[in-house]
Amino acid sequence: MKSLELRYIACVYPITGKFDEIYETNAETVRDLIKEMDVIYGGFVETFINQETGKLNLNTMIYYGERNKPTKGVLDLNQKISDGAKVLFW
Amino acid sequence: MSIKIRDNKIKLLRIDLSTGKNRTEILPDSWLKKYLGCKGITTRLVYDEIPAGTDPFGPDNVIIFGTGPMDGMPVGMGRTSIACKSPRGCIAEGSAGGFFGPELRRADIDYILIRGKSEHPVYIFIEDSKVEIRDASHLWGLTTDETDTELRKELKDPNFQMRYIGPAAENLVHSAPIFGNLNQAGGRAGCGEVMGSKKLKAIAVRGHHGIAPKDYDAFVKAYKEFRKKVDIKTSRDMWSPIWTTYGAPILAPVFNDAGNLMTRNAQEMSWDWKKATGISAEKFLDDQVIKSKACWCCPTPSCQKLYKVNSGKYKGFKSGNYWAGQPLTFGSLIDNDDLNLLLVLSGLCNKYGLDIFHVGYTLCWAMECYERGLLTKEDTDGLELKFGCKDHDGLVDLIRKIAMKEGFGALLSLGCTEAAKKIGKGSEKYCLSVKGQEIEGIAERNLLMVGLGIAVSEVGPDHTRFYPPYPCNPSLMSREELEDLGLDLDLKLAFDSRNPKQKGKLLRWFTISRAIIESIPSCVFLIRDTLGLDMRPWFELYKAATGIDFEYSEFIKCGERVMNLDRLFNVREGFRRKDDHPPYRFAHEDVPNFGYKKLEPALFDPMLDEYYEANGWDKETSIPTEKKLKDLNLEDILVDLRAQNIEVK
Repeated sequence: MKSLELRYIACVYPITGKFDEIYETNAETVRDLIKEMDVIYGGFVETFINQETGKLNLNTMIYYGERNKPTKGVLDLNQKISDGAKVLFW
Repeated sequence: MSIKIRDNKIKLLRIDLSTGKNRTEILPDSWLKKYLGCKGITTRLVYDEIPAGTDPFGPDNVIIFGTGPMDGMPVGMGRTSIACKSPRGCIAEGSAGGFFGPELRRADIDYILIRGKSEHPVYIFIEDSKVEIRDASHLWGLTTDETDTELRKELKDPNFQMRYIGPAAENLVHSAPIFGNLNQAGGRAGCGEVMGSKKLKAIAVRGHHGIAPKDYDAFVKAYKEFRKKVDIKTSRDMWSPIWTTYGAPILAPVFNDAGNLMTRNAQEMSWDWKKATGISAEKFLDDQVIKSKACWCCPTPSCQKLYKVNSGKYKGFKSGNYWAGQPLTFGSLIDNDDLNLLLVLSGLCNKYGLDIFHVGYTLCWAMECYERGLLTKEDTDGLELKFGCKDHDGLVDLIRKIAMKEGFGALLSLGCTEAAKKIGKGSEKYCLSVKGQEIEGIAERNLLMVGLGIAVSEVGPDHTRFYPPYPCNPSLMSREELEDLGLDLDLKLAFDSRNPKQKGKLLRWFTISRAIIESIPSCVFLIRDTLGLDMRPWFELYKAATGIDFEYSEFIKCGERVMNLDRLFNVREGFRRKDDHPPYRFAHEDVPNFGYKKLEPALFDPMLDEYYEANGWDKETSIPTEKKLKDLNLEDILVDLRAQNIEVK
């Protein structure tokens, strides 16, 4: 089980109604995480995953950061996620 | 009544405040094909009209207000270029949106060039061909909003558009810009100071001509394509929905998590998350906004907003605009998470006519100096000037003191670079400035292109010269598409913001393409989707608007010519490679917790070399070479530089 710091701003803030939460998950990838979020809040898959290409929608962004490492914009939704990571959806 | 559609001649109104005379002249048609308009032509005029070594506050310095062929059309966004020689010696050129540009064109004028100095305060009245220099003694000393109100009463026509200065510029406070439509500042690099030195309080303009594109059908077709790139539903750009809905202050939490949010004078690069979200756009929209207010025909309605503080001791305070700079300058940089106070400090800068970046960065520099014991309560008029300062009334009054050059405010009114020279003791190490100008809101050690761009910017730090500073998504365009456009860029490499490779080339292209956008003109904040790489949509709009038939490669060369003109002005004034550097802190300190390295010479110099080389500039001096000047058809400037004994290789 991983513990993640999830953060939601801009157009994602109205979907979740909050800026952040600590979230426990077994998700392996960013894509898995988005699907889990979609079950909880609705709208995550539609917002972040392009239904034609299966890739990240170009008018959204996800930042992924691990402690003491540079935060990076997610380009590949199959990117692995680690325990303790911060994920910013916007 | 039928409206007379104005022609495409380039009309320059010259006004001499020393003699009170004015005359209009027509600039060569060929200048459109060479410099496009707006920024391009004001920059050329600055080079031609201001002799080398001119005293910035003397009568020979000129201040120019320029429009361009797109002004008055739905792509121009009301942009006006404002330019002069900066009090810091370099070129000062910046643009502002609003409605002034289209109104000036409706008056059948494209450029106003003002020289000389008035002995008493004046304002310039323009209504079509009627031009008058009027007494402004009753306006001198008024804040920007008071000036707006009084002048509107006097002119008795709500359709006059105005540009004016506040008390800060009258008092020659560092970096004071020129305002319009209450809260829109332009010409940050000191244009307001120069206007103040000429005792020119305001310009009011009203026109009655119509403006139409030369080829209406082609313009509509090109405009529809353009809208697909910027509209919320069709744009392939992560910023489009956000900009349209929330505006730039959304960046506070985004920057925070990416290690880009300069905090406590950039001693740290991230803030407390709760604080960052507490002053972010979502809270602002929930609590404070009265209404959005866009520039001329802008499709991004949320860029600017009028606000009112609705609680606390400053309840009822009204002002406008909450962009990316405000959460930084009066938020994280000074460690203030009180949104009400933040909006009051920012709004007061608008009212007094101050530059928020000057005030914010000088204030946080002073706070660091105070905490390090380099400044004491004796220096600060008794204010305990620590980060997170709880004396809110003291901070509010300090804004006024800076504008009026009173007490401790007089020191801060100089800007952090000059203030550090006054107090010494190593305090210059804490100045976040380049070429004497405070930096803006975007981090440099993470986004290496920004680090380079801020260092080489001719006017001092100005992110609009290469906006957007975040690399576009590499999947937007294939290598083949880029090659078709003549772009030798590897987007994946460019997208890697911490890899120094390709940053010089990328910056060069961004600077050229943004010079084009500011010259046609339009707004760089509309560069969405592929509009910053593929300039053909802009090219089609420009051709349809002007009727000029030329090649795409010539259009691109115009941008290169304009960005070279900026440098050439500075070269003639003595600026060289030594002046293109990051602030001391960024060159000497790593960013803890994120792994970003300092911009030390081993990292920074190769990027600088790549930039100079890509531009065809001499790497030792940064001076454009003879070959480059000839390639850009700027042989007359080559002659001029050599006449000044400047070696051009």
